[in-house]
Amino acid sequence: MPLSKIEGKSNAIFFMRWGLDMKRKAINGLQDFSFVLPALLIFVFVIIAPFISGIHIAFTDWNGINSTYHYVGLKNLISMFSDSEILNPFCNTIFFTVVTVIFINILGLLLAVALNTEFKGSNIIKTCIFMSMVVSLVLTSYMWVYVLNDFISPFFKIASPLSSPDTVMIGLCIMSIWKETGLAMVLYYAGLKTVPKDLLEAAEIDGANGIQKFFKITIPFLAPVITYCVILWLGLGLKQFDYSFVATNGGPGTSSMSMAMYIYKYEFPYYKAGYGQMVALVYLIFVLLITFLTTKALRKKEIEL
Amino acid sequence: MNKKTTLKSKSLKYIKIIVLWLITLIFLFPFYIAILYAFKSPEEIAENPISFPTKLNLQNFVQAVHLPNYVSGFFNSVITAVIVVGIVVLVTSMASYMIVRKNNKLYNLLYYLFLFSILLPFQVIMYPMYSQLQFFHMINKLPTLIIVQTGILIGFYSFLYAGFIKTVPLELEEAARIDGCSKYGTFFRIVFPLLKPVTMTIVVLVFLASWNDFIVPMVFMQQQGVRTMPLIQFYLFGQYAQYVNVAFAAVILSMIPVLGLYFGLQKYIVNGITAGAIKG
Repeated sequence: MPLSKIEGKSNAIFFMRWGLDMKRKAINGLQDFSFVLPALLIFVFVIIAPFISGIHIAFTDWNGINSTYHYVGLKNLISMFSDSEILNPFCNTIFFTVVTVIFINILGLLLAVALNTEFKGSNIIKTCIFMSMVVSLVLTSYMWVYVLNDFISPFFKIASPLSSPDTVMIGLCIMSIWKETGLAMVLYYAGLKTVPKDLLEAAEIDGANGIQKFFKITIPFLAPVITYCVILWLGLGLKQFDYSFVATNGGPGTSSMSMAMYIYKYEFPYYKAGYGQMVALVYLIFVLLITFLTTKALRKKEIEL
Repeated sequence: MNKKTTLKSKSLKYIKIIVLWLITLIFLFPFYIAILYAFKSPEEIAENPISFPTKLNLQNFVQAVHLPNYVSGFFNSVITAVIVVGIVVLVTSMASYMIVRKNNKLYNLLYYLFLFSILLPFQVIMYPMYSQLQFFHMINKLPTLIIVQTGILIGFYSFLYAGFIKTVPLELEEAARIDGCSKYGTFFRIVFPLLKPVTMTIVVLVFLASWNDFIVPMVFMQQQGVRTMPLIQFYLFGQYAQYVNVAFAAVILSMIPVLGLYFGLQKYIVNGITAGAIKG
């Protein structure tokens, strides 16, 4: 057989093999992809598709019912920045977020430190404080409405915080702090277990007092947990809807409305879907920016410590 | 000197324990009010909200069960929560497994999309989703609630699963592959059983998230027959303002499943949520 013919044959075999290989690779790839496909399909239907069509709605004057609408360009954006009423829900949300992030984290950390040395009943205390985590936001709101109005108010002879526009946000913060502190406590408690004991003992021999040990050793080891907790409650606070909607329905007046509720009001009861959607998108950018910057700042601190 | 310091630290320790118990009582107080109200008659509440009931009004609980849609709402909640748990566990464990093992651009992009949805406020997708569901005639149907809740939860639970799968060693899977096990076989027979600790946590957390979810049913499930528990509670307190006692009895009953879950599986809840935080 001439050499060229053998070469040709082996080439053919090579191409056949190559073809089979490609086919096998493709099947392999598809098989791998089939693992993510179910999640991806649901995700596209629930998150991606509405998100993209939401961008489209934001540039229209659609009222949400009619089948016709007009493109209005950036008009929604302009009316958003000229609406002075938006300032109130925005400030409420910021106030709520700042207060809850600070109190939940500090209270959670203090409780975790106090419970770190075990004593009789420490587990019962942990279980009781953590229990509010399983209660829905709706129930939390209602239980606290009655606690504040029927109990705290007459017992301490003070007006219920929910009755005045000046104090209503404090009332909502109390609800959130009650519900979330248990979770923070459990997270910090687990973080405290990662602090090496011999390091603390060494510091004690060197004459460090409790406060020094706490700030120089414990806090640096807790840094990743602190970052996680701050970001977690930052997100929850900025997205807060249920307390404002259920406990006070935004009232008295509109004094306890949150950004999420403001957007809801425009999209459903007020029939201004286009405008509501634009506010939602701008708010999303704000939430992403704040979260990103906070994460970056906290991670930088982590390294410094 | 030494004796003095031990005495001081001992009394400090007792003060600390007393303060902790006081805080615990404050935390339990709303539950106490709810239980108190559930056992009192409306007259007793009007007279003095915080006094003990003169007799146990079990009548409140009977009335609560007979409230319109209460029983069907309970079952709606149970069915939804159980199916959402099943789908989320199956779908996110498979997806995060492949995302972690592949670790290439395409799969990482997918992972970042999932993570992005954790930060996404629901209001951004609420309205467009409403019109999309209306287009498909899916409003007020239980399967819709299941799909929407699943989609919203995929992001966070992929994150939890991915973090755990990174710690599962590769050797076992390779051995199974050499023995001729298919990809699906390897995952379901070898990998998935290894994920049991994190799966248990996710079961509990997803059940709680679905059971307590308020805004999704409120937007998409307004019809009487398909309402879930949080929505029913919301309307109860609105409509039966003079029958707070019945409303609280209904609330206490609806808390029993989640409290049971909590006391039974507390260990898994704690382990799972802390695993996410400690690894960062």
